[in-house]
Amino acid sequence: MTTGTAALTSPTTAGFALRSRNGITTDFTLNPTLSGFNCGTAPARRRLVLSRASSPSPPPPETTGKSPEDNNNVNDDGDGINVEGDDQKGSSVSVIKRLVDANPVGLGRRSRQIFDEAWRKFSELGQISRTSRSDDESSLLIQEGGPMCEFAIPGAQNTTVLVIGATSRVGRIVVRKLMLRGYSVKALVRNADQEVKDMLPTSVKIVIGDVGDPATLRVAVEGCSKIIYCATARSSITVDLNRVDYQGVYNLSKAFQDYNNKLAQLRAGKSSKSKLLLAKFKSADSLNGWKISKGTYFQETVTAKYDGGMDAKFEFSESGDAVFSGYVFTRGGYVDLSTKLSLPLGSTLDRYEGLILSVGGNGRSYVIILESGSSANTSQSNLYFSRIITKVGFCRVRIPFTSFRPVNPADPPLDPFLVHTLTIRFEPRRQRPSEALAGMSQDLRSFQLILEYIKALPTGQETDFILVSCTGSGIETNRREQVLRAKKAGEDSLRRSGLGYTVIRPGPLMEEPGGQRALIFDQGNRITQGISCADVADICVKALHDPTARNKSFDVCYEYVAEPGKELYELVAHLPDKANNYLTPALSALEKNT
Amino acid sequence: MASTTLHSPVISRSLRQITGNSLTWSRAFAPDRLLPAVSHSSPLRAVGGSVITCTAGTAPVAAANLAPGTPVRPTSIMVIGATGTLGRQVVRRALDEGYDVRCLVRPRPAPADFLRDWGATVVNGDLSKPETIPATLVGVHTIIDCATGRPEEPIKTVDWEGKVALIQCAKAMGIQKYVFFSIHNCDKHPEVPLMEIKYCTEKFLQDSGINHVVIRLCGFMQGLIGQYAVPILEDRSVWGTDAPTRIAYMDTQDIARLTFIAIRSEKVNGKLLTFAGPRAWTTQEVITLCERLAGQDANVTTVPVSVLKFTRQLTRCFEWTNDVADRLAFSEILTSDAVFSVPMNETYQLLGVDQKDILTLEKYMQDYFTNILKKLKDLKAQSKQSDFYI
Repeated sequence: MTTGTAALTSPTTAGFALRSRNGITTDFTLNPTLSGFNCGTAPARRRLVLSRASSPSPPPPETTGKSPEDNNNVNDDGDGINVEGDDQKGSSVSVIKRLVDANPVGLGRRSRQIFDEAWRKFSELGQISRTSRSDDESSLLIQEGGPMCEFAIPGAQNTTVLVIGATSRVGRIVVRKLMLRGYSVKALVRNADQEVKDMLPTSVKIVIGDVGDPATLRVAVEGCSKIIYCATARSSITVDLNRVDYQGVYNLSKAFQDYNNKLAQLRAGKSSKSKLLLAKFKSADSLNGWKISKGTYFQETVTAKYDGGMDAKFEFSESGDAVFSGYVFTRGGYVDLSTKLSLPLGSTLDRYEGLILSVGGNGRSYVIILESGSSANTSQSNLYFSRIITKVGFCRVRIPFTSFRPVNPADPPLDPFLVHTLTIRFEPRRQRPSEALAGMSQDLRSFQLILEYIKALPTGQETDFILVSCTGSGIETNRREQVLRAKKAGEDSLRRSGLGYTVIRPGPLMEEPGGQRALIFDQGNRITQGISCADVADICVKALHDPTARNKSFDVCYEYVAEPGKELYELVAHLPDKANNYLTPALSALEKNT
Repeated sequence: MASTTLHSPVISRSLRQITGNSLTWSRAFAPDRLLPAVSHSSPLRAVGGSVITCTAGTAPVAAANLAPGTPVRPTSIMVIGATGTLGRQVVRRALDEGYDVRCLVRPRPAPADFLRDWGATVVNGDLSKPETIPATLVGVHTIIDCATGRPEEPIKTVDWEGKVALIQCAKAMGIQKYVFFSIHNCDKHPEVPLMEIKYCTEKFLQDSGINHVVIRLCGFMQGLIGQYAVPILEDRSVWGTDAPTRIAYMDTQDIARLTFIAIRSEKVNGKLLTFAGPRAWTTQEVITLCERLAGQDANVTTVPVSVLKFTRQLTRCFEWTNDVADRLAFSEILTSDAVFSVPMNETYQLLGVDQKDILTLEKYMQDYFTNILKKLKDLKAQSKQSDFYI
């Protein structure tokens, strides 16, 4: 018990407390004489009694509340909690301090403190393996998420994370890990029973709601900057699966996107979250600037023999749609619809990470071509292409800039900053019959594409929404299909939402401590092993601030370890260790936007 | 030891086979009433004449596992002494690795909210009141014991009687692993009560037959902050001795990390490990390091070890100052130029840890001073009032 270090528990009062004590203790040198020590023992014991006795009754001059000393007296082994002091406290405390110094009770306490301090110092000398109580300001740095704590993450203080499924196997650990790192955590629970409350740390903010109910979600996402979704349906009834694994993700991503949009609107489109409108086809005028051209891949005159003709038009229909339609019967022929991009002043495409097209098609695929280079001299342009597939009916297609490949392989990768022309090309090559129209005779050489808008997606450094999905291994075969279908639908709705996403598909979950074994990150549903819940939680937390995790879906499981004697390879990889970041290197090799 | 009338019967080296007097507690804690499950593994009933032997437990651990009921999850652990310097790091580490952590803390007016805030479950109990222990151990797989009595209370209550009760409870309730933190060289210094107690507890644990790991520690870096770094920053006098003793300080976060590796490793079961820091330091060296990093000279008050020794002798003369005498007991060690350190290569190898990952004191202190000086600067910038101590 160190009453002397009382005021140090709050950060703002620290400086002042150091000085006030310093002023007195420096003159105090203990004279190591016989009588000095002998007396020293008595107060050391009496001190206990006194301080305990004094704690219930507040000292006379303090009417504003507990003084720091009083605080510490209650907390008698001094091992306690850092009381976060607010800024005003410092000055008010100093006033109290002065009053305390003036009255006899305060003086008495003060001298006792000094003596205790000296005695404590002295007796500490005789101990080597015991530490002094850790109630001094070292706790500021080491204990509660200060910079010296190995869990501390810069930026965690300003981040509020909404955890869905906070009482699940993974969610429970996610919440603890977030708390240890100093995040503010909100947890969405269906009912706030005592039982549920006991499972969550005390300073987690509990929001009552249900992922199936969009109204409650609007409240839940308020003030949140990240979402970790680790809820899953408790049963395999299709209704439940749909509600939690699909609709839940859909509702939540929608609510979160709405919330982001609301913030963006408040800042009049200047927010980093707002999309950049490149083209909107609302009136006949909006079609100006778009040109149609035709061409073939074959230059020889021979092909003229096979020229079946082609035609295309881009017009504003009576129903208010901008329709790009036509046919290409010529072998190797194509039709282009292109425009020069005119960006609003001050915005450049390099601040965006891709395009989003809202189109209504009939299942054909198209090639989006971007021309980049100096806009003054278009003959020097480099061409980059990316293929998109439309559904029957309206859909939104995200095309990240990273998915564009140079037409000439020798060209450098696409630099969005230099893009000046956008082209939508239809070619009859590589068209696949649409499944939705199966049975009907489809002529793959004709097309119709209704264009609604083209926008650029704002880039973000980090992921906004982390979804813990599953790979399907470990589920009984008879229900695997429906579980996977719901999960898949949920993942898709998240990908389409426009949020920065991370989809984690762990192998079968195991309840064991994490950080034990090497992990395999993969894409393409090839994994075979299980993984511990704690490792999944760790990936979630690490992915929050990892730029490489944005817009990625990946599978993860333990590394396969052969039975002793049956190993095929020598294990060279090391286990994850202190403060290392295994996630970035692992994820940087994986594809985005899959 | 003749003058330490209160303690010597229990914990003197001659009585390492824990004898007569220590049983006063055991008898009070009637096994049949509280622990009906213990049938053959009765350390308590084996107490025939004067010797407690826990050797009865050859098979009982396995037997306890076979008992019907819900299987205990291996991720469920109990931390004793969770509010302490080491304990809280152990709790954090455990939570981070995905364990379900339960903490035994004494009921107190200001509860240890930070543990609950991290997501640990807090149960109230007191090692010095054995009847509070059993209920808290239900469903626990591993006990990690980082408790030591507070400096102001008699050493015996928590560190000996409490621990004995705890180990017996653990044994009776089929706890599957018990991790005990002890002090390095505790077998070599029977004259120091705390070390003697720790050594006896080690022995008691071994004899009890529980799966256990004993980890001997040298010193915590965290302790140096309050002892040297803070006083130097505040221009207060630093108290040091002229003892040539060297201690290999270690970061508690490293200790916690290694501990969990040790817990999970089957190879370590039943072993005695010693964790020491990368280098052993004398008090003078530590003070010099702090001075260099703080950029200011320390106001060192050197107390000769002989004074400490003398004080100890003196305080032992009176029964009511015996606690003080116990606290000063380490002065006995300080006079010898003992080195509290061990080569760690074998341990690193056993645990599969890279030596590079163990924090050195230089680095630790450097981090601390960089951070605290920055913080103090911010504080000064914030407050307009320059004169604080009127």
